[in-house]
Amino acid sequence: MPEAAPLWATVVLPVALAVAALVAAGFDAVLSGAAERGPAGSVRETGRRAAAPLREALRLLVQQPRRTTAADRLLGRLGVVLIPVAAVLAGAVLPWGFRAVSDPSVGIVWFNAMEALAWAAVWLAGWGPNSALSLIGGYRFLAQGLAYELPHMFALTTAALGAESLRVGDVVAAQDGVWFVVWMPVAFVVYLLSALAMAFWGPFAHPLARDAAGGAAVELAGVDRLVFLGGRWLLLVVTAGFSVPLFLGGGHGPLLPGWAWTVVKTAAVLMLLVAARRALPVVRMERYMETAWMVLVPLTLVQALVVAVVVLNR
Amino acid sequence: MDLRALLRRTAMNRPAVLALALPGATELRPAVEAELRRRQWPVVDAPAAADLLVVCGVPAAEGADWLDDIERSMPAPAVRVVVGVGEGEARQIALALDAARRELIERAVAPQPAEHAEHMEHMEHQEHVEPMEHVHHMDHQGHDHDSHMDHMDHGTHAMGDIAGLPMAERADDRDGLRLDRLHVPFGPGLSDWPAGLILRFALQGDVVQGVEVDHLPVPAVQRPPFWDEPWLRAAHGEEVTRGDAARRRCAAHLDSAGRLLAVAGWDDVAARCRRLRDELLAGATRTEVVGELRRTVRRVGRSRILRWSIAGLGRLPADRARAAGVTGPALAADGDAYDRLLMWLREIERGLEDLDDVRPLAPDDRSGPRGRLDGPRSPSQALLDVLPALLTGAEFAGARIIVASLDPDLDELALAPATGSAHA
Repeated sequence: MPEAAPLWATVVLPVALAVAALVAAGFDAVLSGAAERGPAGSVRETGRRAAAPLREALRLLVQQPRRTTAADRLLGRLGVVLIPVAAVLAGAVLPWGFRAVSDPSVGIVWFNAMEALAWAAVWLAGWGPNSALSLIGGYRFLAQGLAYELPHMFALTTAALGAESLRVGDVVAAQDGVWFVVWMPVAFVVYLLSALAMAFWGPFAHPLARDAAGGAAVELAGVDRLVFLGGRWLLLVVTAGFSVPLFLGGGHGPLLPGWAWTVVKTAAVLMLLVAARRALPVVRMERYMETAWMVLVPLTLVQALVVAVVVLNR
Repeated sequence: MDLRALLRRTAMNRPAVLALALPGATELRPAVEAELRRRQWPVVDAPAAADLLVVCGVPAAEGADWLDDIERSMPAPAVRVVVGVGEGEARQIALALDAARRELIERAVAPQPAEHAEHMEHMEHQEHVEPMEHVHHMDHQGHDHDSHMDHMDHGTHAMGDIAGLPMAERADDRDGLRLDRLHVPFGPGLSDWPAGLILRFALQGDVVQGVEVDHLPVPAVQRPPFWDEPWLRAAHGEEVTRGDAARRRCAAHLDSAGRLLAVAGWDDVAARCRRLRDELLAGATRTEVVGELRRTVRRVGRSRILRWSIAGLGRLPADRARAAGVTGPALAADGDAYDRLLMWLREIERGLEDLDDVRPLAPDDRSGPRGRLDGPRSPSQALLDVLPALLTGAEFAGARIIVASLDPDLDELALAPATGSAHA
């Protein structure tokens, strides 16, 4: 049974997530820089490119917020703020090594519920400014949610099934020997896809896509924009991080302490996701919906069935 | 200097830029984009995200209030600069950007009260024109309704207004159900959008019910349209090499492909296409670009996800294209948006071989990047003509991909008399 983390971990958690988000965004900026301007050439130049997200954050802090006519300020603001809040709350059940800020008996359900908050958040942020394009962006996320959520929940269920518990600590403990990714590869891949979709990022950035001039974020400026887009990076970090206890053995690993393994594995998953964006265009939801329901749902169901049979026979 | 001022100065050191091109100033857009890339200033696609509005081309005296609206919807500190076509463009662009940054930093360090509603004095450049009667109103993106929607000439505002904004009207949908219908004008202030194009969509849910094609006035300039320049110059009897023509064609297609890929959400490859375009325009030799170009073209051609994502959009069979007077790659592609993209890529690869060809271009060669330049209508006029049929019934998410896959060049609309005189 994993022990609860000390109280100070509650304070450290958002900071650690923010640092991880900044590092991931920096890595992404270096890759973007290579595409836009060619190889960096020097370490100094690479560093300058990696600092782009930090500069961007500062710029947004200096920018004045703006408002649109007949906007629903309350709901719009709520949507913007909910994104980082949902990410941090979901992060509360994320075990660092073998300890989480909180490890309730229904940790996996809690995680999924916090992610579902993002549905409301993006839609509200799209609704708030009273603008056609931002509303289109908000609705796109609802469609995206319908497409990814069901396969995603089956993937989560599969991991819980393998551990016979909804407690995240138990899921980690059950991977003492064999990581779940070994015998649940389909669930793992589906989980990674939905991690991107949940953070509406990269190939699943349709709600914020360029064809709608920025979609749900089109009217956001200044601090609003910073909180919204920064929150998106937090979501990406948290969802990527949660794949570690679910499928990659959590803190299990030789030599290094548990927390170090968590960091290493999370970094590896994040790098994979950030690199995936280079290789893939944005997937339009009307196309993904079909695949999600016709291919991914049956696949995850079969995966869950296989796991259930194994669990029953051991 | 106090810390606050220092932070503000640092923040505005690399302002985010919204770059818009007007018809007739096509050559400025790649130049501005290249300069912004060199300076590592972020380029954004909505006024809300921008600090600096760069207008490529001097707007006409009338009907430029859409630019004021865009500027007004930018968060403070907001600055606009206008770069005109002319001699010493590169220097002019650099000077304008430097001046804009100085102005931005000044405003950020000493913020003025009540920035938004107020009409600010702008740096240098043209006089601001008071909004005249709104003959046709141009909205950039459907927001800031107060100053836009009420000028819509669709005249169905019986529902009453909310905060000065008209409600959506209702109309039968494709299944005969009465549903809300919203009129959303698109352009001319969008990024990755044909300069000056305005499409007035009637949207029902996310289905495009109808579309009216309109555009900003295209100035009758002395210079031929940028992308068609080598062929038109050759037609006038000037000495143009085949290499120059191939170079311009490759750059034009890279520009179009970059826009389509950006709209399809593949930023990485779109950025590469733009960089290659600018290298070609700057006169890079074949050996300098061939490796990266081939890699990029292959990457796009091989992506199954891209194909899966945009195939089937804007289907334009060859017989329909021919009937509409379409020539060039859109006709040869004989298919959907994806086929047209592949056709551009194929022509780029073919053009690559002729890049260093110094033989003169045949004066009767009029096959410009977008089609035959000696037809009864300019190639882009034909592309504009097929747009409504392709867009009607499409879903909103596909509409911009369809537009980008045709990529009409509105500069060509001023072409017709020019080609006529070339024959004489």
